[in-house]
Order: sequence, then structure tokens, then C-alpha cells
Amino acid sequence: MKIKNKILLYMLPMLLLAVNSLIAQTVSSVTGKVTDAKNGNPIEGVSVTVKGTTTGTSTDVSGNYNIKISSNNAVLVFSFVGYSDQEVPANKPSIDIKLSSSEVTGLNDVVVIGYGTQRKKDVTGSIAKVTGEQITTIAAPSFEASLQGKAPGVQVTQGSGLAGSGSVIRIRGIGSISAAGDPLYVIDGIPIYQDNFQQGNSGGMNLNPLAAINPNDIESIEILKDAGATGIYGSRGANGVILVTTKRGKVGKLSVNYNNKLGAVTYANRPDFLSNREYLAIRQEAYTNDGHSGYPDLNGGISWSKAMNTNTNWWALLTRVGMINEHSLGVNFGNKLVRSYIGAVYSDNESYLQNNSYTRAGLRANLDFNFSPKFKVLLNGAYNRGINKRVPAAWAGGLGDAMSTALPYYPVYNDDGTYFTGGSNPVRRLNETKWRNYDDRVLAGLTLEYKPIKNFTIRAQGSLDYFNTMDYQYESAEWLQRTDVPGIAKANPYWGTNWQANVTAQYDFNVTENSRMSVMVGTEAQESVVKGYNSDIYAYTDKQFYENKSLYKDSLAWFKTQPPNKSNFKEIEKDNWTFNSIFARINYNIASKYIFQLQARYDGSSKFGPNNKHGFFPSASAAWVISEEKFLKNSDLINLLKFRASYGIVGNANIPSGEYYYKYYTGSTNYQGEPTLYPSNIGNPDLKWETLKNFDLALEFGLFKNRITGEVAYYNKNTIDQLLNAGIQPNTGFGTMWRNLNGGKILNEGVELSLNLKVIDKKDFSWTVGGNISKNYNEVKSIGDLDADALGGGTNDTRIIVGYPVGTNFVSRYYGVDPVDGLPIWYDAQGKLTKTFSLDNRVPVGKVIPDYVGGVNTALRYKQFELSALFTYVIGGNLYDGSAKRQAGIITDWNIRRDLLDRWQNPGDDAKFPRTTLQTGTYPGLSSEWQYNSTMFLYDASFMRLRELTLRYNIPSGCLKRVGLRNASIFVTGMNLLTFTKYIGGDPEIARDFENAQDRNMSPNVTYLTPPQQKSVMGGINITF
Amino acid sequence: MKKYLIIATAIFSMSSMVACSKFLERPVEDALTEEDAIYDEATLKSFLNGTYVNTATDLYSGNQTWIADLMGDEINGNLYSGDDGEFYNRKTSIFGAYKNDRYTAMNQIVYRANKIISRLDLATSDKDNVEGEAQFLRALARFEILKLWALNWGATADNNHLGIVLRNETSINGLNRSTIKESYDAVIADLVSALAKVKDTPAAGHAGKDQVKALLAKVYFQKNDFANAFKYADEVIKTGKYILDKDDTTPTGLKWTAKRYSEGKSTEMIFGFKYVLSVLEVGGELRGRYRSDVGFSPQGRFKASSVMYNLGTQTGDTRAAWYAPTQTDGVTYYPITKYDKDRFDRPVIHLTDLKLIRAESAAELGGANLAVAIADVNDILTRAFAGTSRNIATSATKNEVLTQVRAQRELEMIGEGDRLQQIKRIGALTGQTVDRRNAPSNCPGMAIQFPQGEKSGYSSFTMNEEGGCN
Repeated sequence: MKIKNKILLYMLPMLLLAVNSLIAQTVSSVTGKVTDAKNGNPIEGVSVTVKGTTTGTSTDVSGNYNIKISSNNAVLVFSFVGYSDQEVPANKPSIDIKLSSSEVTGLNDVVVIGYGTQRKKDVTGSIAKVTGEQITTIAAPSFEASLQGKAPGVQVTQGSGLAGSGSVIRIRGIGSISAAGDPLYVIDGIPIYQDNFQQGNSGGMNLNPLAAINPNDIESIEILKDAGATGIYGSRGANGVILVTTKRGKVGKLSVNYNNKLGAVTYANRPDFLSNREYLAIRQEAYTNDGHSGYPDLNGGISWSKAMNTNTNWWALLTRVGMINEHSLGVNFGNKLVRSYIGAVYSDNESYLQNNSYTRAGLRANLDFNFSPKFKVLLNGAYNRGINKRVPAAWAGGLGDAMSTALPYYPVYNDDGTYFTGGSNPVRRLNETKWRNYDDRVLAGLTLEYKPIKNFTIRAQGSLDYFNTMDYQYESAEWLQRTDVPGIAKANPYWGTNWQANVTAQYDFNVTENSRMSVMVGTEAQESVVKGYNSDIYAYTDKQFYENKSLYKDSLAWFKTQPPNKSNFKEIEKDNWTFNSIFARINYNIASKYIFQLQARYDGSSKFGPNNKHGFFPSASAAWVISEEKFLKNSDLINLLKFRASYGIVGNANIPSGEYYYKYYTGSTNYQGEPTLYPSNIGNPDLKWETLKNFDLALEFGLFKNRITGEVAYYNKNTIDQLLNAGIQPNTGFGTMWRNLNGGKILNEGVELSLNLKVIDKKDFSWTVGGNISKNYNEVKSIGDLDADALGGGTNDTRIIVGYPVGTNFVSRYYGVDPVDGLPIWYDAQGKLTKTFSLDNRVPVGKVIPDYVGGVNTALRYKQFELSALFTYVIGGNLYDGSAKRQAGIITDWNIRRDLLDRWQNPGDDAKFPRTTLQTGTYPGLSSEWQYNSTMFLYDASFMRLRELTLRYNIPSGCLKRVGLRNASIFVTGMNLLTFTKYIGGDPEIARDFENAQDRNMSPNVTYLTPPQQKSVMGGINITF
Repeated sequence: MKKYLIIATAIFSMSSMVACSKFLERPVEDALTEEDAIYDEATLKSFLNGTYVNTATDLYSGNQTWIADLMGDEINGNLYSGDDGEFYNRKTSIFGAYKNDRYTAMNQIVYRANKIISRLDLATSDKDNVEGEAQFLRALARFEILKLWALNWGATADNNHLGIVLRNETSINGLNRSTIKESYDAVIADLVSALAKVKDTPAAGHAGKDQVKALLAKVYFQKNDFANAFKYADEVIKTGKYILDKDDTTPTGLKWTAKRYSEGKSTEMIFGFKYVLSVLEVGGELRGRYRSDVGFSPQGRFKASSVMYNLGTQTGDTRAAWYAPTQTDGVTYYPITKYDKDRFDRPVIHLTDLKLIRAESAAELGGANLAVAIADVNDILTRAFAGTSRNIATSATKNEVLTQVRAQRELEMIGEGDRLQQIKRIGALTGQTVDRRNAPSNCPGMAIQFPQGEKSGYSSFTMNEEGGCN
């Protein structure tokens, strides 16, 4: 609190000094109206100043202004974000102005920053903007997946082909270990609930809280990357911030926009598996290799003869062509008093997996009330429901079984018509179990904006993020293999309230004739509470709970009323945290040439121990718009040249709550009728945030009348005090505890380049090419006294090792096959060849972090036709095929991928994989096929894919007017139509299900029966009337 | 001036929002701090109750039984892969969540016992009993860890080979393993101390003197200390409170072979856990890994070797009911039926086990004790063959008794994870190879490997040697 008071004390005198410059004399006035040159709509808030003086005003809701001038030679300057400035001599009493949209540079575009907006040319931090239009072109499972390839420094790895699958997003690398490395998502001002692990990785998928967000509601997404941008978010800014701004009403007549998408979905890449006879031949070969004669035992208790005559194509039985059916409606209306945007959406996107789809229905109303020039109220509310018809995948079964333990000679049904149960039977599971997630989410906010005096604005904002997720599962009596019950319906709900309130005060004033300062101070409080029950609600029934809501209510009531000696069922709090903060930003702009910005935030959080409850996070940034200097002002070659730099300290607080104290829970079950108590962790009162020291340099440019624009950026980020939940001996009874890694240091250093080129810019014909490429160098500098195995990424054999990147593949090195006997040859830790496998010979050999990521886009417009494409790519890094160890060499109860068949069969064979065997002991030193991790299955992760391809036809306005339409277009779009990769085992884009945040930080690019990404083709219309 | 006042008022108003420091004191609602959780004898006993529940669910769900049976020699090891294959091949590694998670969970019972012992200042009227029960549970967990993660007592002449970590406090400092002698001494010291503190007649489900003695008998038996094993087993058996299961007298009644793992039908359980639907559903892993009647697959369930099947299904042996040969398309497997129920109690120490301990100990001690041994083994045989036709003679020699009692132990305890311990124990005692798979009883792989976290959390930790049994 002392620091907070100091900030206030320092700021007040500055404010007081600054306002002295506001005194001016006036002699006459000019009035007029400012409208949009394109549509004639009035523009509110346009800055109208007398050039060279401090005199200024702004337009009201109708676009009207009235300004005093002291001289008839005065020049009025009209400026507004998103429009080009206009200068007009004040030589008559009434002057109407038509403002045109800014040029391709977008320098006058408004950019959303934390707790405010700035013109792009005034921004001193690193912010990438993606518009709403750009993220709705494809039917991605969730809106964040659409960011792939569209912003430099932002790596988006889409999870899998499952409906509603989330993405792993990394902004300028990863510096966290156990704390989540995901960016902070802020929607209309509220940091939203974004926990992927509330239900662990059940079903082979982490829940995606972002899936229910309606992409059609989004006006823009700003990605804050450096401390100059994220610093205002203090202890939560280390991994970047993604600001999502939803659409708001504009002044104008009632307009209605409707668009739809209809299409089909399949898989982008698929692995190919052996048929029954092929598999049996391999098994027989392995048996013979092991020195046996006759036939080997078969899994599933199936005879050889029957196996030879049963060939089940499990992949075909579990997949289909899915359908996309999406409709959205947007209604816009605005007048002097109120502006409104009403949006509604319904979409039903099936994946290519049988019984798997994500249905989204949503309604949004954003209302802006302008009660007076001084007082404004903004109201926004959205309700979205997402219904994820789930199926298990990957390790949990379903298509994962089809890719592994569902052997091709297993039948679906026995001869008597009953299901085969001797081994995996994913069709039985598909038919006899049901699974749905209902995800209801309300995002609402109220903002009061009051301008008590000129240029002084007080904003009070309150937001609510309410969510209710219901996990329904049903298992039939057949699945349970019970005759005493008809089946079981289970439900596991959790719900939460996440609210935030902030108040900011901003004062803008001229310090000198050509310099302007903006001071903003604010305070914010946030609380997030997640609740649920301590065990499932269930009932033995023949119907799912979602088909019989009254049974669910009765069952819930029954559980709640059970005496403690029968059941300790109760409502529990799963998570609960608070933040309380003050923050400030000072922006000083000298002649739009030199811009300086200071930000600071003082955060307190309930997540941290009593010894480290509060943290201070300062940052400074500056920009020099070189092209505004006299020597470049009128250059034909260089239209924009802006140099930017920032340095700051930000933090990461994304850990579970309540880890700083020893927690105990009363038991959900009693023992002999007596109460029970359980410990759940080892507390740590010193627990605090992890710290990122972030330095950024950038050069923005526009050349040849801004036909070439772009940006080059360099960053250097050092993360220290990493939050850690690992590295203590399991004989403590826990094996993990949350603490800060003493002496830990991780470097992320990189360069980004983005370039946009207007090749042709004619009235009826234009062609643009653009793209971005980002290079991130990640190195673990220190992890204190921990060794390589102390920090692992789940079961993915990725590690954090000094001198290597986060997520280093730590496996044995495979030399090749001994052509004499077909046994594998390895390198030992010293690099000598050996035929004895040992986990002691594991070394760092690969990395999940790529060298380069980016995207290339192009758009061709000819008259009414538009053709656009986006290629995304990854260069470098490694992909680890985590399931192949069960499919090559040692033949177990898994089917075998065809690409793993290049094996030794006879002396002299030059093969990629060793001889087949049924016994792990055949390969000396190997304990089991699970430990068979090596470079044998490590691949180059580079790939390029045609992420988007769209052909659009804009119907001429002449035709439209006759039917009362303003705009209309029809389009056809393809997603992931082409993929170029060296990996032949499936899809190269992988972010598998993760066990926890640490696994998520370390193990993208490790596949384990992961369903391949979707490929889709769809068409639709977009009309406005 | 008005302008400055407005600005100042606004800013100072905002500052009041952050004045409430209690806003940041938000422990998770349902979670208790240690001060709120354990503050008197009643709450300390609640914590003890929780430790019993975890003993039932983490220690005796069936995982350790399954691991031991895979490592034994009564199983048909074909088709097991992954972790199961590692156990079967007695070649475990630093990885493998099945055993590593169990190791952590078993050690958490030790942690909880340590916590109870460290907070005995809160106990009042029942202090001795609480301490004794905590010591019993700590000893029980350590004994189970010892049996799987260490070679047997006697595997080296001086018993200086390594045992387990002996952590006596709720600390997180790095620790290495103690020797097998120190490990056994710690277990026995806990039990001897507990014996003096626990009640003669404990509350249901809790450890009293009989339970401590029974465990002492098992511990001493495992270290081939027959005098003490006999002493404690004898004392428990002589209480007469525990009776060998018998067939129901009604024609449709339960056979004794279906009672040991039944819901309330066994009279043998000395220490164990009652199945309580929706409250304490014990034995889940036993059902999952052993059932022959539901969901059997040869690659995922217990299937006895043909040798074991033939031994266990001799003419007239009622224990043949424990085998359910399964023939599909000409392929025959021998799953067992002991756990073929949706619900059953989970005995940890039962009378049959104790009688066989007394019998073998008595035989080893010889002399007058031999008659006790013969009587005990004949009790077992009489029940097994529904009569005395297969009983051994009262004049049987020590070796004849030992051979018979060990054979009966194997038949009685099929699928209970016992055989591995007998391979290790008898091998250490006799120096001979007992294992039908011909592995020496002290080959390294007879002890499973510790989790890598032990080493990465404490670099001086000594891991087990791996493999070497085949």
C-alpha cells in the first residue's frame, strides 16, 4: 500500500502542473458537422483543434462541433482514429467535414490497449491486431485457432480434429515451467476464466473454455506482446495478453447482416494401418524371429483361423464426413441517444469422428447510451451455449483404439450377435456410452463514462463472466456388463462466477504547444470462484440425464440429503482467487514524433503466500516516428519509419489457488461412520509470481506510398523465479509442491518480420501479398540444482535441461539396425555404439519449439471476385511420435502403422526398424516397449499447409438495390486443403491432450494417437439489408 | 481550482478500492487450513480415519497384489505388455505410472502417520491408542513397500543391502534409503510400540492388539524369524475370535471358497476393510485385474499357468472352484474366480494366512511345535478336500510338513500376491531357487525400481539395480 500511495502522490502534482496550460482566449467560433465520407454517418468524438494552439473540442453524438477561434487565419485540424487527419482553414463560420478512412498503413486505426485505446501510430508497445472478419473465414473449432499465421510472434497450434478442440498459443516463446504459459484472455475488459484442466484430460482432450465464445461477435483481437503493451496487466502479463473486443453499434439506419456457412468436414491427414492378414503375418514373423514354430497366441482369445477371416476397418467405422451448418445474424442501429448491436448465432459443426460435434447457440446485445455529452453508459451482455457431443479419443479410446488396441482381426460382434469384449471394441463403446458437455456462459458488462470536466474522463466498469459446465455421461447395462441395473447416467457439473470491477481516470492535456500528455490511473478488483460437487451425481437408469432432467434433479436432491454416514456428497469450491490492483499509465507525445510511455501496476493476489502477497511491475516504452522528421517528411520513398523500444517487468500468476498453505479436506466418504480428513498438498508461504524481464526493439515502415509496409522486431525475455510444481521426492508422500525455482532462468530471444505488399492497386483489380515470419530462440539458462528428469512434460519424454530449449526431447539415440541379426544399435551417453538399450543413455536430441513460424497470405480481387489464400508454416523443431514405440519392432496388442513396416527380415537387410519380436527381452536392456523411446521416432516438425482458401463473389450493388439489399456476397472456403510435411505417420500439427499446464508448456508436437486435424470445404452467403 | 478538486477527489476515491486487504485472504472455501483442520483429539482422529480409508483404497485396492502376482510364478505371462510386461519380466524401470503412483500413495500413508504422531499434543483421552494406530499404519505401509521395492531379508548375509526410505517427519528434505535391517527394525519397532498402546477391543475397522500381532507375525515370518512369527500368530489364533470359513449348511448356501472375498460372509478376516456401497468400495483393482466372469481378456487379466491350474484342481480339491478355464476358439486360459463379485470385503490379514504362518514357523522350530504345524496344515487340508482323506500323518517329518504347508500356502493364496514373497523368503532362507521360472530369489529384478523422482529430487538417492532375473 505504501507504493500505491507514493504513486498517487507523484501523479497529482503532475496533473496539477499540466492543467495550467489549458488557459486560452477566444474571439469567435466555427460550427459544423463531421461525417464519414463513405456512408455519410455522423462521427462522434472527432478531435477538432486549432493548429498550433491548445484550443480544441470534439464532436458530439451527431457529429456536430463548435470551436472558438482567435484568428481568421486559424487552421482547424480534424482527427479521429481510423480516419486520415484533415486540415481546413477556419475562414467561414460553418464548415462541414467528410473524413475518409485511413490508408493502408492503418496508422490512424484505433488499437485497443489495456484500459483504453490508442492510435496505432501513437502506440509504443508491440501489438498485433486481427480483425473479426479475419477470424470468421474458416470453421475453426474455436476462435483462437483462427489466429494461426496471422500475427508475427504468435504461434498457434491447434489441438486436434476433435470438435471444440482448443489451441496452444505461445506469444514469443515460453518461459514458464509449471505455471500455465498461455496468454491472458481479456474480453471487453474482463480477464476471463480460461482453465483447461478443470476436468483434467478426460477422454483424451482438455476442455476448452474458449469454445463457447462466438467468433461472429468479435470486432477485433489485439495481441499484446511486449512489456510496453502488457505491462499494464502486471503480474499476469508475462505470456502476453489477447484482448478481444466485441462488436458495438454504430450510428446509422437499422441494418441487418446475415451470413451462413454450409459444408463438409473430413480429416486432413490420416495414418494407415495394417489389415488382419498383414498384421497376423507380422505377428507370425515376430514369433518365428523369436525362435518358435507354430502359431503365437493372439490377443483377444481369438483363434488363428478366425483371425484370418475377420478384417475390421475400425477407422472407417469410427469416422464419417461431418457437416457444417452455421448461421449468424447481426443487427445494427444507432441514433443520437442509443447505439445497439444485436448478434445471434447458431452453428452445428460436426467433426469427422462419429457422434462428435460442437453446437453453439448465442445471443449478444451491446448497447451504448449517450445520455449527455458528459455521461455515457455502455452495456454489453452475451449468452452462449456450447454443446459438445464428445467421444473418447487418443489414449482414452474411440479413434485412439482404432489407431492402436482395436486389432483388425477383432470383430465388432461375436457370432451370437453380442459385442466382442475380448479386446478393444470402440464401436461397442460408441454405441453403448454417451457423453455430452453443456457449456453455458454469460459475459456481461456495464461501463459508466463520465467527463466532469474537459479532457478528464472517469470510467467505471464492472463485468461478469458466469459459466456453467455440465458433463453428462451415460453407460448402458451392456457396457457395464451388469444385469441388475438398466444402465447408469452420470453428471459432473461445475460452475463459476468471475467478476471484475475497475475504475480509471484519464486526463489528457497539452504540456506545450506541440506536446500532449495523457495520464491514466486506475484500480481494479477481480474475484473468480469455481464450484462443483465432490463426486459424480448418478442414477441407474436407461436414459441419459440430459434426456431426463427431472431425474437429474431428483438424483441431485437425493445425494444432497444423504446422511454423512452414507455419503458425504456436497458442494465444494474447486478454485477461488482474487486480485486487487492499482495501475497507472503516462503517455507523453511530442509532435507525434517522440512518444514516451510509463506503466506500472501494483498487484496483490490471494494466490500468493503471506510473505509475498504483493508485487510491483513497472515498464517503460518509447517510439520515435522518424518519418515525421523534416528530413523524411516529404520523402516519396519512405512514408513511415517508426522506431520503438520497451523494457519492463511483468509476471505470471497462472497457478491454482490456495497452494501457499497446507490444505485439508473433509472426506467425501466416512470411515466406519466416522468423519475423515485428508491432506492435499504441502504448503509454501513464500510462494509468489514468476517474473519476466522483457526488452523489445522494433522498426515499422511504409515505403513507396505505403505500397510496402511492415515491421521488424527484436525481443529479449528472461524469465526468473519460475513457478514449479515438481522436483521433490515421492517418498514425501506427494512428489510435488508449488514453489519458485531458486536460481532458475529461461531466455526467449527472437526476431519477427511482417511484410505487406500491394502489388496491384487498380479500381477493378488489386493484388496484395503479405506474410510474417518469426524466429524464437529459447534456452534454459539455469534450473538451480535440479537434474534433467526433475522437470518432465507428462509422459511425453520432454524435459527442461540447462542449455536447451523448454520441451527438449530427452530420449536415447538410435543408430540403426545391425544388418547381421536385425537388432537395434544405440549410442551410449558418450556417443559410442552399443546394442544394449539403457535409459541412462538418454540425451537431449530434439526440441518441440520450432525455429520459425509464420504465414503467407495473398488476396486477388477482380471486379466482383475475390480470391484469397493463407498458408501457414512451421520450420524446424521436432515432432515426436509417442505411440510408434508400440507399433514398431515389438509386436504387442497394438495394430501397426504401415509407415513403420520398413523392418529387418533377413541377414543383410538394410532396414529402418529392427527385427520384429514378441519379447522385449530380444532387444538387450529394454524393460518394455513403453521405454522404447528414441530418435527412431523423432521427426522434423516442419510443415506448410494451405490453411485457408476462399473464393468470394460480391453481388453488384445495382442488382441488390432492386431487392432491397445493401451488400451481398457468396463464397466458398476450404480449410487445411493441402499439407506438406515430412512426417508420414499422420498430421504434423499436434497439441495432444495434456496432463497439466507443465505438460502443456513442454509437450506440443508430441503425438499420441492424436486425432488428425480437420479438413473442410464450405460455402455460404453474406447479406446485409 | 474546481478542476483540481474533481481530479483529486476521483483519484482518492479510487484508492479506497484497494484498501481492503482481507479481499486477498481467500482460502479455497472447502479447504481447511491446518489450524482449522486438526485442532483437537476428535479432528486428529478424523485424520486417522482418513488414513485408514487411504490404506484401503491406495494400498489395498489390488495394485500391489497384481504387481506381485505378475512377478510371481503362478501366472501365464503370455500377452502381457507395457507395465504389466515389465513386472512379469521382473525388469522394471524408473518410469511406469502404475507402480510410481502407487509408491507415492503408499508413502503418503507414512506421511499421514507421521503427521498424526507429530500432533499427538492434541490428543487427550485416547492418545496412546491414536499413536499406536498411527504406528501400525506406518508399519503396514512400510512393510508393503519393503516387500515390493527391496530384496528380502537374508538376500545378503549381513542384511546391509538397501531397503526403503525411513522418513519419520513430514519434511521434504532429500533422503536416501536405509538398509534392509534398519527398515525391518523400524517396522518392528513401530509394531512393538503399537502393541503396547492400542486397544484390546478396537473400534470396527481399526487396529487393536490382534491386528498388530497378526502383522508382527507376518513381518517376522517374512524375515524368517520363526520364533516370533509363531508367537504372534499363535496368540492371535488362540483368541478363537477368527474361524476358518466353512460351507454353509444349506444346499444352496455359499461354499467356503466364495467367502474369503465376500460381502460380510467371511469369519477369517483379522484385519481388512468392509465393502460399503458408495462409501468405501474396496477391492476395485482386484475386480479389474482378476475377474473371470466379466470382461476377461487374456492380455489384461490374471490367468494362471497350466502348471498352477493342474496343482489347484486335483481331484477332490474344493479349491478347484477358484479356477474358471476359458476356452475360445480352441485357446484355453485359466482365470480365477476369487474376485468374481461386484462387491466384497477386502481382507488384508486372514486366518488362513496366519495358520499357515504358524504351521510353517512351528515346523521350522520343530520339536513339540511340529504337532501344531501338522494340526494347522491338516485343518487346511480337511477343509480343502472336505474330509481328512488327504491329511498328513501326525508322524510326518519336519520336511514333509514344510513341503505340505508351503504347497498349501500356494494353493490357498492363489491370486493374493503372496507367491512372490514366498519365492523371495524361502530362497533367502534356503539359498535355493524356488521360482518355477528359475530366477534366483535375490536377483535384482525381484525388487521393482524406484520412481525417477527419488533420484531427481535427491541426487544421492540409490536406485535399485534392474533386471537380471531372466
